[in-house]
Amino acid sequence: MAIRIQRLPSASPAVAFAARAAAIVLALVAAGLLLATGGAQPLKLAMQVLKSTFGSGFGLEDVGLLVTPLMLTGLSVAVALRIGAWNIGAEGQFYAGAFAATGVALFIPGPTIVMLPVMFAAGALGGLIWILVPTLARAYADVSELITTLLLNFVATLLVYYVSTGPWLDPGGHALATTARLKHNVPEFWGIVHWGFPLAMLLCVVVAAALGFTRWGYEVRIAGSNPQAAKYAGMPFRRHLIVVMLLSGAIAGIAGMLEVAGTVHRLQGGISNNFGYLGIMVAVLARGSCIGVIAGAALMAVILNSGIILQTQGLTTSTVLAITGLILFFTAIGDELAHYKITRSKPAKT
Amino acid sequence: MDLIAGILQTSILAGGVLALAALGEVLAERVGVVNLGVEGLMALGAITGIATVVTTGSPVAGFLLALAVGLLFGMLFAAVTVYVRANQVLCGLALTLMGTGLAATIGKAYSGMPAPATFTPIALPYLSDIPVLGRAVFSQNILVYLIYFILPVLLHIIMFRTRHGLNLRAVGENPAAADAAGIAVQKIRFWYVTAGAALAAGAGAYLTLAFVPSWSEGVVAGRGWIAVALVIFAGYRPLNAVLAALLFGVITSLGFVGQARNWPIAAPILSMLPYLGTIAFIIVPVVAWRRMRQAMAAPAALGIPYYRDVR
Repeated sequence: MAIRIQRLPSASPAVAFAARAAAIVLALVAAGLLLATGGAQPLKLAMQVLKSTFGSGFGLEDVGLLVTPLMLTGLSVAVALRIGAWNIGAEGQFYAGAFAATGVALFIPGPTIVMLPVMFAAGALGGLIWILVPTLARAYADVSELITTLLLNFVATLLVYYVSTGPWLDPGGHALATTARLKHNVPEFWGIVHWGFPLAMLLCVVVAAALGFTRWGYEVRIAGSNPQAAKYAGMPFRRHLIVVMLLSGAIAGIAGMLEVAGTVHRLQGGISNNFGYLGIMVAVLARGSCIGVIAGAALMAVILNSGIILQTQGLTTSTVLAITGLILFFTAIGDELAHYKITRSKPAKT
Repeated sequence: MDLIAGILQTSILAGGVLALAALGEVLAERVGVVNLGVEGLMALGAITGIATVVTTGSPVAGFLLALAVGLLFGMLFAAVTVYVRANQVLCGLALTLMGTGLAATIGKAYSGMPAPATFTPIALPYLSDIPVLGRAVFSQNILVYLIYFILPVLLHIIMFRTRHGLNLRAVGENPAAADAAGIAVQKIRFWYVTAGAALAAGAGAYLTLAFVPSWSEGVVAGRGWIAVALVIFAGYRPLNAVLAALLFGVITSLGFVGQARNWPIAAPILSMLPYLGTIAFIIVPVVAWRRMRQAMAAPAALGIPYYRDVR
């Protein structure tokens, strides 16, 4: 009997799922061990987290509030990945969406019922404009969107910081670095969870359906898995790339709009809470599936909420960021290892 | 004249951070591995530098220890991307998240603390007496000389003038052919990626030990990503990378001058300049000089893991 290790071109879904689960568990164990060497008691902390998250309605409400932007930023990254583009700029598009929606709310008068849809459109447009240059550069000059989308994050962060501490600073003057409270809010339907939550979920389903059941979705999937084949088959690769990337930006912009109009109610620096970067995690966890994004976002929201609970125990958001990185790292390893198959065979007789 | 000397001096100091990180990334990408963990490695290097200098008082120890930390994390990243062959983009992003988070966690205790000792300028005899250039170029700290003169020339010679350099470039262009010629593809990739990571962490230490001598969360501020972008702009060449970094040093220092002289532009807007500049500089050349594309193209096997059995 000889043991042979063979690499398969694609991993079976069951193995891939098991590898993912194992990777997340191992990463959490590794993080726990690291925390333990720092003097913390990981098991006690873990119990605390589970109790605070699932032991009360308030915990679940917090998760519901966090999962909304994560679903959208995750969807944004996942959609772009479908055609082979890495949108690392969801963070910036999120800010741009929040910025545009706030601008509309602050400077255009009107009844809430009209203004909310207008803000929604403004948010989507803000995100779309933010990804426009990287999109065109990728489509027409083959400039890596990875770097251009990412660098625009810093520009958007600075822009929001600038307006919320400068020109749009709350004239009431109570708060130091935020705009005035927005007059139009996305209404809540369960505790503090607003209608953005079902809306985000609906958007995931709609995009998944469009990708799964339409001719457009079919062509996008082909273009994503094999651009050469798509071009030979006469599919307009460039047009699909542009549409998908702009859609990706618009979705992240919507996330920003919902966050400012549903959760925070003011525009301020740091409003995105790293949601854009965490969206990359969510999309990776979802293996590029738009429905999977919902599950990935839920997991990420629980991790994030755990982080907030852990902050009361002396941990910081940066610790949570580090743990998130660890999970991503293990996931990448697990993904590759899922391709291998160990077979036993009798040695060939010579 | 003083203004020009001042701008040039700050540009060289500011560009040094990017130059060192970019040189590291040139090493990794030339052997075919995209390391998107530069931002995280720089954060780790920055905190290592400041923590060491606060404890021991020696900036040299801080810089060396940062190199060691970069080496360690680089080996981890290289092992996973080169030997396990996990997705390079994911691993790089993971390394950035881990590094940034870990550095900020450790850095809490050192936040806002000024470095008790820094790399101080050393005026080179005679050269530093040259008007304008003397003060700006030849009375800098020792790392500046290393980053601008010694390291890039050394790397250029190794890469383009030696047999070994030919081998390492072959590994990035066509690993299968290199393997067939008897070059140890995985080994070369592993060590160059590791060395590149060490330089990235060193760039972080340079940041906190020579440029902004203190730690605060977000002190790296996307410089790691700019460094990655510069490598593309520089066409994957060490000498170009240093010149490109200097150009960005100029943009950064113009922002500083603007703030110091109260230009009627808000500080956050001026702070956008390096990012917008980077975007412009990686888009404009490709559009304007299409013929240069081939000469400046990325190594052919960049980002693609090498499997011997599917050769």
